[in-house]
Amino acid sequence: MPILPLIKGTFKALTRSDELEREMDEELESYLSMVVDEKVQGGMSADDARREALMELGGTEQVKTEVRQSRHGATMDSFVWDLRHALRLMLKTPGFTAVVVLTLALGIGANTALFSTVNAALIRDIPFDEPHRLVAGEKTTDGVPNGSVSRLDYFDLRDAATSFEGLAAYVPHRVTVTGEAAPEVVGLMFATWNLFSVLRVDPVAGRGFLPEDELEGGSSVLISHALWQRRFGGAPGAIGRTVFVDGEPRTVIGVVPAGFRFMNDTDLWVPVERGDFFIDRQRDSHSLRLVGRLAPGATLAQARSEADAISQRLELQYPDSNSGKGFFLDDLQRQMVGDARSSLMLLMATTAMVLLIACGNVAGLLLARSQGRLPEMAMRTALGAPRKRLIRQLMTESILMTLVAGIAGVGLAVLFQRLLLQLLPLGKPGLPEPTLDSTVLIFTVVVSVLAGLAVGVVPAFRATLRQPWEQLKTTSRVSGGRRSTRMRSLLVVTQVAVSVVLLIGSGLLIRTMSQLTAVDLGFDPERLLAGTVGIRGSVYPTPDERSAFFAALMERIEALPGVERASGISKLPIASPSMDWLVWPEGQPKPGYGEGLYALTRFAMPGYFETMGIPILEGRGIEDIDTPDAGRVVVISEAVAEGLFPGRDPIGRHLNLDWHDPYEVVGVVANAQLDGVRADFPEAVYMSSAQAGATSMWLTVRTESDPLLVADPIRDILREMDADVVFSRPRSMTTIVENDLSGLHTVTTALGLLAGIALLLTAIGLYGVLAYHVNQRIGEFGIRIAIGASAGKLLTLVVDRGLRMVGAGLVLGVTLSLFGTRLVQDLLFETDPLDPLTYAAAVAFLGAVGLAACVLPAWRAMHVNPVEVLRKE
Amino acid sequence: MVESRQNILKGTLDMLILKTLSLAPMHGLGISRRIEQITDGVFQVKPGSLFPALHRMEQEGWIEGSWGESENNRRAKFYRLTPAGAARLGEEREGWTHLVSTIGLVLEAS
Repeated sequence: MPILPLIKGTFKALTRSDELEREMDEELESYLSMVVDEKVQGGMSADDARREALMELGGTEQVKTEVRQSRHGATMDSFVWDLRHALRLMLKTPGFTAVVVLTLALGIGANTALFSTVNAALIRDIPFDEPHRLVAGEKTTDGVPNGSVSRLDYFDLRDAATSFEGLAAYVPHRVTVTGEAAPEVVGLMFATWNLFSVLRVDPVAGRGFLPEDELEGGSSVLISHALWQRRFGGAPGAIGRTVFVDGEPRTVIGVVPAGFRFMNDTDLWVPVERGDFFIDRQRDSHSLRLVGRLAPGATLAQARSEADAISQRLELQYPDSNSGKGFFLDDLQRQMVGDARSSLMLLMATTAMVLLIACGNVAGLLLARSQGRLPEMAMRTALGAPRKRLIRQLMTESILMTLVAGIAGVGLAVLFQRLLLQLLPLGKPGLPEPTLDSTVLIFTVVVSVLAGLAVGVVPAFRATLRQPWEQLKTTSRVSGGRRSTRMRSLLVVTQVAVSVVLLIGSGLLIRTMSQLTAVDLGFDPERLLAGTVGIRGSVYPTPDERSAFFAALMERIEALPGVERASGISKLPIASPSMDWLVWPEGQPKPGYGEGLYALTRFAMPGYFETMGIPILEGRGIEDIDTPDAGRVVVISEAVAEGLFPGRDPIGRHLNLDWHDPYEVVGVVANAQLDGVRADFPEAVYMSSAQAGATSMWLTVRTESDPLLVADPIRDILREMDADVVFSRPRSMTTIVENDLSGLHTVTTALGLLAGIALLLTAIGLYGVLAYHVNQRIGEFGIRIAIGASAGKLLTLVVDRGLRMVGAGLVLGVTLSLFGTRLVQDLLFETDPLDPLTYAAAVAFLGAVGLAACVLPAWRAMHVNPVEVLRKE
Repeated sequence: MVESRQNILKGTLDMLILKTLSLAPMHGLGISRRIEQITDGVFQVKPGSLFPALHRMEQEGWIEGSWGESENNRRAKFYRLTPAGAARLGEEREGWTHLVSTIGLVLEAS
């Protein structure tokens, strides 16, 4: 069959259907006149001839229909016709269209935005070559994954395991960069030389790490593309230049590609040195995270069992440090997404439910409208339109509307993404950024079409259900309406049910939030400014010089107006967690692995406890007298005192801290939440930062009013004292505490917002059904009033109907919630997923909203004017 | 087996039209009358099946329509056979002969 004419014909049928129609008319007309000619020649009168010819033809319309259907593209043709009709209808009822499109656009937009996030985190691959062969590794204690791996264990795993093509280790850090441009604090990553070869990332300029870069005394550094631009203007000559990292000169050997992100926001990569530091001789000093690439053909399961075998061997070999210790290996992407998965799934489910409710409302609107179009449908059926054809036309109408809503939704999705989703916890840096890519757009189209089917199918079938004669002979209003009202009531019941589920879900999260804000932090986060300051060890070589610098800094800060107290600590509560050491009383043998007491280890400046508002229970805090020359002192938390010296006075006793010489206990302070708001780790020991010779500190500044006001004055002071020292990321403590909860905060806000939208839509749906119901029974109400029914009686009639729908929805929704709240369980904190208060509050709230939605229709019913109504009848 | 009978009839109509047009270009009524005449009125081609067939075949590229003057000076659409149509007629004819001889075999079997 010749393809070209076929395509041309089909194309013509689609694009030039008007012309074809005209031609067909002409052709039939000429046929007719020729038949008439024949008959007239045969002796018939012109009129008779024409009549007979028409009868022979059997109806021009039928012939034309037959011809149309015989053409290629006939289906498409009628589809185009349906589309035009649907468009005309949409434009003819702009109000209706706007409501439907807006409602659905909100729902589709929210789903698109969220799906783009889900797509980035859970569906798309991380941007590395063959990402499924990448594996993340950490340490386990008694089978539970709990953080970094010790360096010696890493060497053993790397050298013994055959499942890996390469196994790299890294640890993030923050440093001050100086030299050639203004000093700045940036992220740095200590990495084994093979990190980039494991990830298969090549530098865009210069070279990558080589094994010899790890040798002691090496000073190579790889810089990020951004830092290259920022500090060197992207000049190729940057290779070989020197940057000062915390004062240490390092030579730039290469530039990492733009946009490269892995686990942390990092500007500098420095090889982990194979130096012989004491810390590296300790098998129980854990600092490294692992990332490996599986050997070709090796599976994660193989790598896991191999790592298990190796760790068992290490346990036997080094029982002191390795008992109960193992490796945990997992898919890198899964590790990067981490806890964000449950939040994302929860939000996705919630957003889908909101769309469902929106669809419910639109379906209700379409049902009401289809009621009004019954006569049109009946007429067309009577004229011979097959039911299938009418349904197809109605479906085209609803799908067109949802597609338009989908397009609007994509616009809204961009907005949602900018406003809210940026705040969502998205796992570690390095995951793909959420974008509206083709997968997302396909998702949107599919959702739109599905929504169109969902909202259109019931009204379409209902509108075409009845036999035309039945429809044409009744006045339609009352009897036809009842069935559609029942359908709409069912929709409202479902909406109420879904809303209850959402309300209960967000209620539980709100309870969790309030539980978390009620957590006693053990310090006062109000009016407290915190930020880091780091000085160069080479400029301030002795502990005395370092403590002198910080002491002078504190003195000047405390002299600032509005500052009550200033101090410093090596690791700020909440913001910088972990680092725990084994502690035991002097004179006792060192406890075995996993047996002794571990305490968070912190180095504090004088006045720290007073500044933070951590009560000193016994003895004293760290003070000015704790100089490098004085005896080593330690302040312990209540939990350590109870753990090590139960029933005895700890003051004056001595403590062993891992490999350090004993410290004298000089004070006991109250427990505080150091490791995070949700953490349960009250054991802490505080040593003197002056005695430790610390170069990097978190400043803590208690102010009289807004703490951020003193950030700039502190910067000025630092600039005067040492131009290379940066006051990095000053934030208020309340912000830091909030950030610790930020994922949850955003999820709760988003969920609350979605529940609010759901509630609003449900209320509108309920109102719509009741208003329609009252409208239909207006005649009946008029008669009732005329024969003496009280206004109260009518009120009861309407409200009763509304509340019955709400009631049914509530029962259904609460039942669903009993199972559905398992979804949020992971996110809850000291909140029972079946918390009766939350359930009761959600039910009461929805009940009240439902009642409110009944009020206006009920008021209308009560104020029906019987005279007017009866006159109309 | 209603369907297959319709198919045969439809195919037959195409073949008859193509055959008719292979003799001379003709307009719709002309084709209809010609078939009636040749078959002694056994086949009467109604416009309801003639025009759909003509339009379909035109779309397939077997025939080609153009406007001209009829013998009575009426404007009419004349159809002519295209080379593709001629080839098609050959195929149809072959198929038909095959069908007839096959059915013949069945009927003559004892």
